[in-house]
Amino acid sequence: MPEPVLCARGIEVRFGGLVAVDGVDLDACAGEFVGVIGPNGAGKTTFFHTLSGVIVPTAGKLMVGGDDLTGCAPHAFARHGVARTFQMPRVFRDMSAEANVRFGLEFAGRARRHAHEAFDDARAILAFLGLEDSAALPAGGLTPARQRLLEIGMALGARPRVLLLDEVAAGLTHAEVDATAQLIRRVRDELGLAVIWIEHAVRVLMNHVDRVAVLHQGRKIADGDPRAVARDAAVVEAYLGEEGEPVKRAA
Amino acid sequence: MGFWLELAASGLITGGIYAVVALGLNLQYGLMRIMNISHGEFLMLGAYLTWLAHTVFGINPVAFLPVVAIVLFLTGLAVYRLCFRRITRTSPSVEIIEARSLLVGFGLMYLVQNAAYMTWGADLRGYSFLADAVEIGGARFAGNSLLAFGFAVAASLALLAVLRWTMLGKAIRAMMQSPTGAQLVGIDTAFLHPAVFGAGLALAGVAGALLSMVYEITPGMGEPYTVTALIVITLGGLGSAAGCLAGGMLLGLVEAFGMHFTSPSLKMLLSYAVFIAVLLARPKGLFAR
Amino acid sequence: MTLRELLGAIAAGALALAALPWLASDFLLSLALTCLMYIGLAVTWAMFSGATNYLSLATSAFFGIGAYVTAWGFGSLPYALVVPLGGLAAAAFAALVGAGILHLRGAYFAVLTFGLGELVRHAITYSEKTYAHTVGRVLQDAPESSVVYWTVLLVAAAAVAACAAVRASRLGLALAGIGADEERAQTLGVDTRAAKITAFAIAAFFAGALGAAVAVRWTYIEPASVFNPFIGFQTVLIAMIGGAQTLAGPMISAVVFSLLTELLRLQFPYAYLIVLGVLLIVLVLYLPGGLASLVGRWRRVRA
Repeated sequence: MPEPVLCARGIEVRFGGLVAVDGVDLDACAGEFVGVIGPNGAGKTTFFHTLSGVIVPTAGKLMVGGDDLTGCAPHAFARHGVARTFQMPRVFRDMSAEANVRFGLEFAGRARRHAHEAFDDARAILAFLGLEDSAALPAGGLTPARQRLLEIGMALGARPRVLLLDEVAAGLTHAEVDATAQLIRRVRDELGLAVIWIEHAVRVLMNHVDRVAVLHQGRKIADGDPRAVARDAAVVEAYLGEEGEPVKRAA
Repeated sequence: MGFWLELAASGLITGGIYAVVALGLNLQYGLMRIMNISHGEFLMLGAYLTWLAHTVFGINPVAFLPVVAIVLFLTGLAVYRLCFRRITRTSPSVEIIEARSLLVGFGLMYLVQNAAYMTWGADLRGYSFLADAVEIGGARFAGNSLLAFGFAVAASLALLAVLRWTMLGKAIRAMMQSPTGAQLVGIDTAFLHPAVFGAGLALAGVAGALLSMVYEITPGMGEPYTVTALIVITLGGLGSAAGCLAGGMLLGLVEAFGMHFTSPSLKMLLSYAVFIAVLLARPKGLFAR
Repeated sequence: MTLRELLGAIAAGALALAALPWLASDFLLSLALTCLMYIGLAVTWAMFSGATNYLSLATSAFFGIGAYVTAWGFGSLPYALVVPLGGLAAAAFAALVGAGILHLRGAYFAVLTFGLGELVRHAITYSEKTYAHTVGRVLQDAPESSVVYWTVLLVAAAAVAACAAVRASRLGLALAGIGADEERAQTLGVDTRAAKITAFAIAAFFAGALGAAVAVRWTYIEPASVFNPFIGFQTVLIAMIGGAQTLAGPMISAVVFSLLTELLRLQFPYAYLIVLGVLLIVLVLYLPGGLASLVGRWRRVRA
C-alpha cells in the first residue's frame, strides 16, 4: 500500500448548529483518480473547500505529503502541492490566459519541479489543453468552456501533487466531458498526480475514476470500486428520487 | 445618585440621536451596499433648515420636523437618481459598488459641506429653544434634550415597527437577506431603492433638526456623526435596525461614562477604540448570534 | 519598456529636475515641491490601493506621523536622518495596523483607515497636551528651500522607482491577483496577508518620508494641520483621476491638480473644493478607470 499524498481524517464542518460535513475520511495516493459524488447538499463542495484550506474544518486532521496542514491558510496547501479548480471558473479576467497559468508557476509552483519538464512552461500547459491560440487573450473574454479548461491550466501551473477538480463537467456536453476526462487521465499518468474529482452528475464520473467515495448528508456512506459502489444499497437509497436513474445506468 | 442618573441619561440622550443617524445609513448600506460617507452632511442640512425656519420665519422647530423630513426625503430621491443609481447598475460586483459609492460619498461630502460654508459661513449658529431645566427623580435635564431624545426614540421605534409589521418593511428585510430572491418574488427595486435612500436622508435630517435645538451648529458638524454612525452600525451589526438602536444607546453610555472617568478630549479616541475593538473581535456586531 | 529602461528614465528625469533651484523663482520652486509631494503620495497609493482594490484612506495618517517625527526629532537629529526615520515610523505603524485590519474588505477597510488619521491625530493631541504641555511645536533653523526641494525630489523619485520595481516583481503580480480575486490568488500559493502588509508598509514608508521632508516648510507644526484629511483625499482623487492601475496616470494628474490647488485654493477655497467634489463624482460615475483608461480606449479604437 503506497503512502497517500493527501490524507483527510474525521473532517467536520459546522456552520452554527448545522453540520455540513460530519467526520469524513478520504485518502488519495499518487497516480490515483478518485471521484467524490453525492446528491445536492451532501456537503461535497464544503468538504472540498477544507481540502484546499479555503474553509478550516471545525474538527479533523489534514495531511499533505506527510505534513500536518490542519488550520493552515490556502496558500500553504497550494505550496504543498494541492491545486484546485472552482465550480464557477474564477480566472483573473483582465490578465491574459498565459498570465493566468503563469500565476501558479510564480507562486505555488515556484519551489517544486514537475516529473514532466514540458509542464514547466505556461505555453506548454496551454498547448496541452488546446488553448494555445487564446494565450494572449484576456481570460475574461474566453467562452465558459474554455475558462473551465483554463482553470485546470491554472491548477497545473501550480505544479501540483494533488489536483482537486470541482464539478469541471457541469454544463459540458457528453463529448466535451469525455475529452476533459481523457485529458485529466493523461495529466495524471504523465505527472503521477493524485486527482480528486467532485461531480454532481454521477454517470460522467463513474466511467473514468479508479475509486469513488459517496457523501450523503455530510457523511461518507461508501468508498471503493465504482461498480461495487453503484450496487451499494445505501448509495442507491441516497440517490433515490433524485439520481436513481443515472446510478442504475452506470451500473 | 442624581449625578449618576444625569450621566447615564445624558449618555442615552446622545445615544438616541446616534441611533437615528445610524439607522438611515444602515438601511442604505444593508439594502444597497451604498456606503454614503456624506450622511452627516445631510444631517447638517436638516439642522440649518430648522435654524433658518426658526430664526428667519419664527417657525416652531418641532412643528417644522415633518417639513425637514419631506425636504430631505426628496433630496434623497434626487441624490439617488443622480449619483447612486448608476453605480448600482453598472458595477460588476458588490465590492465595487461599495468602493465607488464611498468615493461618490466623499465627493458629495465636499460638495455639500463647502456649499454650506459658502452660504452660511463658518460661524457657530444657534437659537434658544426650551432651554429651561426640567427636574426628574433628582436629576436635572434641559427640556430640549429630553424632547430630542423622545423624538429620536420615537422615530427609531416607528421605523422598527414599519420594518417588522408592514408589507413594505417585509419587502425591505427580504431584500437585505437575498436581493435576487426578492426580485424573483416580485419586489420592485426601482421603487424600493430610491425610497429607502430618501428615508435614510430624512432620518439624518430629523436628527440634525433635533440637534439644532440642543447644540450650536456649523457646516462641519456632520462629519463626526458619520463616523459615529459607522461605529454604531458596527456595534449593532450590518442591516440590523434593532441592533442600531441598542448600539447607539451603548455608544452614548460608553462615551458619557468614559469621558467622566478619563477626560473629555478623549471622546473620539474612546469611540475609535470601541470601533476597532468590535471590528477585530466581533466583526458581525455585538448582538450577532 | 523594460524595468531597467524605466528606472533609467526616472533617474534622468530626477537629475534634470534637480537643476530647478538654480533656474526658478522661490514661488515656482515651492509649486514644484508640492507637485513632487503629490506625485510620491499618489503613485504609492496607486501601488497598493489601485492594484488590490483595498481603498486606503490612511495616507494622511502616514503623512502626519512622518511630519511628527520631524517635529520631535528636528534640531537634535540631522534632516537627512529625520526623513527616513519618518518613513520607517509610518511603515512600522502601517505594518502593525495592517496586520490587524487587512482581512477586512470593502467599506470597513476604507472607513477604518479613514479613522486611523483621526485616531493618531487625537492621540498625539492628547499626549502633547498631557506630557509636553503644548498644542504645537515651533521648528527653528529650517534647511534652505533648495535642500528641502532636493530631498523631496529624491524621496518622490525613489517612490516612483519603487512602484515601477514592485509592478515588475512577484509582489506586483501578487497584488494584481489579490485585486482580481483574493481567494483564487491564495489557492494558487500567494501569501496574501504578507503581500498586503508588505505593500501597505511600503506605501506608508514613502508617505511618512514625504511628510517628514515637507514638514520643515512649516515653521509651526500642530496635529490639525499635519493630519489634514484633505491631503489623503487629494491623493486618492489624483490617483483615481489619473488611473490608479497605471504608473504614469497618477504622476501626470498629480502635477495638474497640485498646480490647480495652489493657484485656486487660496482665492476660492470653498468653490474649489465644491468643484473637486463634483469632479470626483462625475469621474467615478462615468470614467471609473481614470483618464489612463481613455488613452487605452483611444488606442483600441485606432488599432
